[in-house]
Order: sequence, then structure tokens, then C-alpha cells
Amino acid sequence: MSNPLFSLRGVVKRFHDREVLNLDRLDLEAGVITAVEGPNGAGKTTLLAILALLTPPDKGRLFFDGQEIPRAASQLTAWRRQITLVAQQAYLFDTSVEKNVAYGLRLRGLEQTKRDARVREALEQVGLAGFGARRARRLSGGEMQRVALARALVLRPRALLLDEPFANLDPTSSQVFERVLGDLPNQGCTVVLVSHAREQAHRLAQRVVSLREGRLTPGLDRG
Amino acid sequence: MDFFLGGLTKGLGLLAQLDPEVYGIAWLSLRVSLSAVILAALAAVPLGLLIGQREFPGKRFLVVLFNTLLALPTVVVGLVVYGLLSYHGPLGGLGLLYTPGAMVAAQAVLAFPLITALVIAAVTTLDSRVGPTALTLGATRFQAAWAVLKEARFAVLAALAAGFGRVVTEVGAAIMVGGNIRHYTRTFTTAIALETSKGEFAQGMALGFILLVVALAVNLASHQLQARWK
Ligand SMILES: Nc1ncnc2c1ncn2[C@@H]1O[C@H](COP(=O)(O)OP(=O)(O)O)[C@@H](O)[C@H]1O
Ligand SMILES: [Mg+2]
Repeated sequence: MSNPLFSLRGVVKRFHDREVLNLDRLDLEAGVITAVEGPNGAGKTTLLAILALLTPPDKGRLFFDGQEIPRAASQLTAWRRQITLVAQQAYLFDTSVEKNVAYGLRLRGLEQTKRDARVREALEQVGLAGFGARRARRLSGGEMQRVALARALVLRPRALLLDEPFANLDPTSSQVFERVLGDLPNQGCTVVLVSHAREQAHRLAQRVVSLREGRLTPGLDRG
Repeated sequence: MDFFLGGLTKGLGLLAQLDPEVYGIAWLSLRVSLSAVILAALAAVPLGLLIGQREFPGKRFLVVLFNTLLALPTVVVGLVVYGLLSYHGPLGGLGLLYTPGAMVAAQAVLAFPLITALVIAAVTTLDSRVGPTALTLGATRFQAAWAVLKEARFAVLAALAAGFGRVVTEVGAAIMVGGNIRHYTRTFTTAIALETSKGEFAQGMALGFILLVVALAVNLASHQLQARWK
């Protein structure tokens, strides 16, 4: 592998002394869609939380673009601003669709005219043009996931992490996700998506890694 | 019946005549209680946010402690603040006893555990994904805490309104540290207590009536804000 964006070395995560993740070595190549598959409880969501720098591992080292991620929580914001996560059934803030999508840009201090243009563009991308003024938490489940996708895309992250992106999606939203995600590698964005099912996620991915009880299963690795 | 009707009629009369004494008392009450709520909230809101969001040993004890402090009789708080501010007390040098400042301090101490407990409850019942969502979108820890506060805004506002309700209606602490001095530290409740003990029901009823109107206005304003946000 030429150029990994994420590198994990000896990463261990425990909850209440139970080891839920133990990754000796995992490299995720830049500009590639990697799917992580595995049954419920395999540790997929935990892995994404570690990659999103939300949960510090108990042991091991994590590198992003060749640089080691520091341990101190206060230093993580700058790193997190290059990575974003679309959670399974993402939380939308109790405000308009527009304000949800603009949130991250606002934090980054982007001026309003540029912000508005990018928000509009992101909403068009996910097929929600004209939804800007709607109340986010009143939308349908699929529409809400698309708002969450737009809210992540608008940041133009270097890495986009998605937890079960195709679970419980209506066909329209599912197509939107497939189209948008499929195009991201062309824009240099690295995508990591996890799923317990094999179908859709795997069609999109250039590489599939398997997780079983917190460990990688090399035999099933494809790509 | 005469007692109430007579009192109410005279009371409305005083209001209509813009009786300076009545309005002076109302204005002081509002100033003192609002200042107390703001002062208490400055500490209680961040503290409630912190306790509500974090898991740490002793958290349950702290929550129980704050809920217990809610039941503290106002005269006990008055007594403690009196002790602190009295001439020979540790804060006696400030010369605050029997001033509106002393009442603000006592009422802030009263409002503090109530607002803290209600903010803890608000944050605990809020969806736990709010903070992490903000972080993944690039928020600093402070900005993420702010996002949590914004999502819990209805409950936080209700906590502030409840704090105001507790302090504007209490009488024990205000009398003890304020002294009920005419034109200086006389509030709604201390005045009503005094007027009633003198048999001056009209003045008492007028003040009681304004107190009701004030409570109504506070609740209406908070509902109005909620309606706008919804
Ligand atoms: N916050 C937590 N506290 C305790 N146990 C947890 C926590 N999060 C996850 N786990 C446990 O870790 C294991 C892996 O969970 P998860 O990463 O959510 O798996 P997956 O997403 O693959 O279904 C599960 O056994 C789960 O119960
Ligand atoms: Mg999961």
C-alpha cells in the first residue's frame, strides 16, 4: 500500500475490562473506499469512533497522514477538522436544515456568502435543494440521513466515516448515498464505511476488511 | 369576602395611581431577584452542564446533594448568609448586610442548587449524541458544550424561570439579610409580610397582585421564546 491516510498499530480498546477491539495493524489507503464488515458487536462502531478521534484507544498508536495523533484531548480539534463522521441514525440539531449543514462551516469561521453557497451546493448534491428552511428533526428518516451526509460533505473532509450508511434507507436516499459516495475518491476523499450486511456497501468499496470479535480476519480481506 | 374584595379594590387603586412606594418595591424586587438568578446561573449552568455530561466517581452523590439542597428552608440560607456578612463574619468587611447586595447574595445562594439540579436533569435527559456530533463537525470542547446547551434550551430556560420563581417569592432570607428597610431593601414579600402584620391589607394585596402579574409575564415570555424556537 502506497499511501495510507490512517494507520493503526497495536490499537486496543476495552470497555469495563472487556476487550472489544484489538487491531495489530490496519492501514487505510488515501482516496479509496474501504468497507469494514462484520456481525453486530464486532467492534465496527468502536473502530469508527477511534478513527473519528472521539474515543481514545487504551493502547496503541494512531497515525493520520503519517503523523501521530496526540493523546491530549485539547489538541484534537485541528485533527478532527479533517475527518468527519456520519453516524448511524445521525443526530440533527433542533433547527433548520440549512443551519445544520452550515454548522461546521460556521465553526471554521467561513463568511456568510461563501457559507450559503456551499450549503446550497451540498443540499443539491444530496437531492434536498429547497429543503433549507425546513425543520431538520421533522424530516423523514432517509431525508435526515441525507441532511447528515450534506452536513459532512460541505466540510470537504479528507476522510469521511460512515456507520451503516445503508441501514433503514428508503430507495431514493439509498441511491443518493451510493452516487455521492462513489464519486468521493475522485475528489481525493478517503471513505471508510462499516456495515453488518454485505450487499451495497461492498459494491462501492475498493477494499473490504472483515472484523470478528474485535480482530481483523485476514482471509476475508479483499482488495 | 370583604377582606379580599376591599383589599383588591384598594390595591388596584394604588396600582392605577402609580403609587410610588408600591412601584419602588416592585422595581427593587425585580432587580434583586433578576440579579440573583443571573449570578446563580453564571455558576449553575456550566456546573450543571459539566456534571450532567461527564461520568465520574461521586457523580450520583453530587446529584443527590443538589437535590437535597433544594429543600433547604430559605431562613436557613438567610441565616448562613447573615453569618457570613455580619459585622464580625468572614465577609463582614464588605459592609453588605442590610443592603440590596446582601439580598442578591442570599437569593443567588438559594437559586444556585435549584438551577444546577434542573440543568443536570436537562443535560442528562438530552440525547447523548449531541456533544459527539458537534465534535465530529469540528467543534472545540467548549463549542460542543455550547451545542448541548442550545439543544437543551427549553429545559435550561425553564430552570432559570424556576430559579426566579423561587427567589422572587421567598421572604425568609430577604428579611434576614435585607432587613426590610423602607425605600431601600423592602421587596414584595417582605412588604406584604409587614403590611399584613400592621393590618394594612390593601397595600399587601396590591403587591401580591403585581407579584402575580410579574410571574405571569415571566412565564408568558418563556413560552413565547419556546414558541419562536419550535
Ligand atoms: N460505551 C460502551 N460501553 C460498554 N460497552 C460498549 C460500549 N460501546 C460498545 N460496547 C461494546 O463493544 C462491543 C463492540 O460494539 P460496537 O463497536 O458497537 O460493535 P458493532 O458496531 O460492530 O456492532 C459490543 O460488545 C458492545 O456491547
Ligand atoms: Mg455498530
